[in-house]
Amino acid sequence: MKKTLLVLLILTCLVGALFAQATSEQAAPAAPAKEEPVTIDLWYGAAITEAGPPPDDWVGYQIIKDKLNINLKLTALPSAENDQDVKIQAAGAANNLPDLFMVRRDTLMRLVKQGLVAPVDDMYAKMPVRTAKHYDASSIQNTTVNGHSYGFADPGSIAKNEGLLIRKDWLDKLGLAVPKTLDDLYNVMVAFTKNDPDGNGKNDTYGYGAFQEINNYEEWPGRRLEPILGAFGVEGTWDMTKANAGLNILKPEFYDAMVFIKKIQDAGVIDPNWLAYKKDDFRAAWKQGRFGIMREQNAAYAATSNYAPFDKNFPNGEWIVIDPPVGPTGKASIGPYTVNYRIYAVSAKAAKAGKLDKIAQLLEWMASDEGYYLLGWGVEGVNYTKDANGIPVADGVDKDLAFSGPKGQTVTQLRNMVFYNGDIELGSRYPTYQTATSGKTMSALTVLRDMQSRKWTPAIGSDMLPIPNADLKRFYEQGLAEFITGKRELTKANWDAWIAEFKKQGGQAWNDAGVQYAQDNDLLV
Amino acid sequence: MAASLNSEERAAYLAYKKHHLTREIKRHRSIYAIMLIPLAYYILFKYVPIWNGQIAFRDYMALDGVLGSKWVGLANFKDFIHSFYFGELIRNTMMYSVGKLVFSLPLSIILAIALYECVHPKLGKVVQTLAYLPHFLSWVIMYGILLSLLAPGDGVVNDLIKMAGGKPIDFLTSTKAFPWIVILSDAWKEMGWSAIIFIAALMGIDPSLFEAAMVEGANSWQRVHYITLPSIRPVIVVVLLLRLGTILDAGFNQIFMLYSTPVLSVADIIDTWVYRQGLLEFQFGLATAVGLFKGVIGLLLIVVSNKLTKKLSGSSLY
Repeated sequence: MKKTLLVLLILTCLVGALFAQATSEQAAPAAPAKEEPVTIDLWYGAAITEAGPPPDDWVGYQIIKDKLNINLKLTALPSAENDQDVKIQAAGAANNLPDLFMVRRDTLMRLVKQGLVAPVDDMYAKMPVRTAKHYDASSIQNTTVNGHSYGFADPGSIAKNEGLLIRKDWLDKLGLAVPKTLDDLYNVMVAFTKNDPDGNGKNDTYGYGAFQEINNYEEWPGRRLEPILGAFGVEGTWDMTKANAGLNILKPEFYDAMVFIKKIQDAGVIDPNWLAYKKDDFRAAWKQGRFGIMREQNAAYAATSNYAPFDKNFPNGEWIVIDPPVGPTGKASIGPYTVNYRIYAVSAKAAKAGKLDKIAQLLEWMASDEGYYLLGWGVEGVNYTKDANGIPVADGVDKDLAFSGPKGQTVTQLRNMVFYNGDIELGSRYPTYQTATSGKTMSALTVLRDMQSRKWTPAIGSDMLPIPNADLKRFYEQGLAEFITGKRELTKANWDAWIAEFKKQGGQAWNDAGVQYAQDNDLLV
Repeated sequence: MAASLNSEERAAYLAYKKHHLTREIKRHRSIYAIMLIPLAYYILFKYVPIWNGQIAFRDYMALDGVLGSKWVGLANFKDFIHSFYFGELIRNTMMYSVGKLVFSLPLSIILAIALYECVHPKLGKVVQTLAYLPHFLSWVIMYGILLSLLAPGDGVVNDLIKMAGGKPIDFLTSTKAFPWIVILSDAWKEMGWSAIIFIAALMGIDPSLFEAAMVEGANSWQRVHYITLPSIRPVIVVVLLLRLGTILDAGFNQIFMLYSTPVLSVADIIDTWVYRQGLLEFQFGLATAVGLFKGVIGLLLIVVSNKLTKKLSGSSLY
């Protein structure tokens, strides 16, 4: 009996439980389970490499999580391009690339060959605001391989943002006019070197200052000497004109340019440290008054913090932007220019994990007003205020927290992902200011506009042309350097023999491949 | 012993040995437990990667993985050996390795002996600390120091040369001066650190030998010649043999920081070439092939020189 009662009790409980379950299901339908946040791993190029990453409590993380359901994980790439390449390629070799990452075009092409990067053609339509502001046919072509775009080429540094600068106070002291021709330039270099332009009684100044800064469209001797190469019509690695397309080094005028560079090297009127300088050494040198002519970037020269040491050292010093010198056949150029893109690519791994839509959402949000101002300047009232024209300024906020201050810089490290060189950005980035020591009125924006108005050589797409293998690149750079330093005697016969060997080692094939690519992609002008 | 036993005795002997080994492991279990850490290190970081060494024989594609990448046999090795600068790379690498060995090793030994013989303990400690310090500076900082010392425009050394009426020398961009800068700056940076092992060896010499020599009237030089140097000879041989094993490692960090285009002909070594050709150009198969090539050469050198030193001097690594 007891046993029967027990069984009945158990059965009753079970039926009751089932009934209760059914009732509760009918009474309150289950709420849809909240989607788990998607983690997006982003390797970014820091806007200010010497400042740290956004702090853990950065307001952006929470906004992105709340609005987009994304857990954003940020990793800053190294500041040096070679180190960036190594980090990305090592991750690629281990098939461990992050979801979204900044990458140089050459490296991107290698990753595409390996199948490590996802095509992003379909993502442009999912980001209408961003696509309208940031991308056009040219930028999409920059990342296109076999008909597919493999990355977002955002506007990078402003084109033609460098210029030829000369110490006007030195010219005035020596009673010299602004040089117009290459011969004038040489004479000024000699005077700056030998006639004590700073009046300190020491033989410690030079005419021209430079360092070896090369890239795939400005090969050795590189960007800093382009105004001299421009006087011979051989500025840049490539001639991008339909009539003379090809490597500039193969033109007879390149030899003439080499002879001139050798002349200033032998005469000691170019800072002899130029072959040993790194970028920071070069920049420290002009601030210390070592030379009086240079090619420099607008902000590196005129931005508040960059100009301050020079202003302190030389309150009466003055640099002015001048036209590039005119060469023997009337040619002149500051150098070649192309559109500078900053590419962000999506890894194939992220695409496989179904993250493409979330990445598109993230990028589109960055292009919204909220994302643009938050990533570009921080939080209004905390990191910036707006002036009467609606331009973000650092007035009225804590100096440390201001977007230009040490703490403010950390929360604007992603600004290069949202900036597109619009007027608001330029006005904010390059404000007019009074220098601390001399009280001069300076504006990197005015300098930029002046530099852009000078004579440049269009070479759009020249940074997309094939690059030589490492051995040929070394042969090219080493050969030129040896002619300039005197290890090889710079005679026409030696030059011709070296060019013949260069062609044999693959230079001719490189030239032909470059011309073919330029023709196929309609890059010649 | 086991060979002379019949099968039953042999089985009993092996069972005893096994039991004995187990008992020994149990008894010294704490020592064996400590040994597990380095053992795990060597298995994980030294032996497991050997499996991935086969990348040297493949056209490595990251998505395909090691086993999925196409087998290309010796193609990567051929690419390296037939590269335009192969001869120059080997020459430069050997020049720096041997040069550093020839300069640094004797200097380290001399420094160690000098510190050991120093009769003013405070002076010895100051010198020792100053000699160690450069080891802790990175080559980035060392480059800054060298630039301020050697720059043709305003370097301290060139200022002295100019004051003496001479012509400034482009130390860092001259193909003649550059190898000396590399070898001597390495000696300067590493001499103190390398001396530690010799100082440790010197500490192990029986002091009674020196006391006896002094009683017999031996001067400082004779004590060094007849006691110190012979006593530390085994350590010198070991250090020399170990250095021979890495003869094709000429110091990537140093040369990468110091070199520039004008001195490539005397500065480019195997590792800088691998960095440019292998890593920057995404040719990991080629980079691995060169790594394997260096390893095999190093191993051969160790084996041969170990046999030679054993035969000639009685000291050896193993």
